[in-house]
Amino acid sequence: MKESEIVSVISRKLVPYILIFGLYLISYGHLSPGGGFQGGVVLASGIILLALARGTDSAQKLFPEKNLRIVEAKAFFLFLFMGIGGLVAGGYFLQNFLPLGKAGEVPSAGFIFFLNLIIGLKVSAGISLICFYLLKGE
Amino acid sequence: MKLKLLGEFLIFVVFGFVLIFGIDFIPPPPSGLKNYFVCQGVRQTGAINLVSSIYLGYRAFDTLGETIVLILVVSGIVMLLEKKDKE
Repeated sequence: MKESEIVSVISRKLVPYILIFGLYLISYGHLSPGGGFQGGVVLASGIILLALARGTDSAQKLFPEKNLRIVEAKAFFLFLFMGIGGLVAGGYFLQNFLPLGKAGEVPSAGFIFFLNLIIGLKVSAGISLICFYLLKGE
Repeated sequence: MKLKLLGEFLIFVVFGFVLIFGIDFIPPPPSGLKNYFVCQGVRQTGAINLVSSIYLGYRAFDTLGETIVLILVVSGIVMLLEKKDKE
């Protein structure tokens, strides 16, 4: 497949902003519309844009498939450990055991922020892994 | 042919009646839980966004199930497409 100069340049300029927007959606998930799932899909769309425009091999130099697999599996166990942390703190499973802080600031809402982060990383790793596999099958 | 059309029309009428009845005459669900979330959500979970305070605060166990669904989907696709590679 012949590479187009325009598509290559535009995608390389656009991907960092898409990734930053995804991280913004994830980290402000408890303050504004957004959250782990939505921000994770935006992150994955940046990675997929790179893979579509530059080919999966050059996208995998930045986001290696092995690391995505590790993130996908480990994030689930991190989620479980956050839940068990509530049990350790003396409450129920998935209890909010971190201090709540002042409502409206970014580091607030206890472990909702961390759960958003974990879910965002997990969703982005999972969806970009699926797309890598589907694009490789061509 | 005519009979079939009449039957379809009858089915439409019946389902339309059920839908209109469902919208109009069944009382709305009790709003106690909604009021509880709106009044107590910010104080109890600390998140201004009530959606995230529900799906990660009150219903975090449900979100755990969603992550299991995602990991199953990814492992299924990896399993199916990796086999094709090796042949």
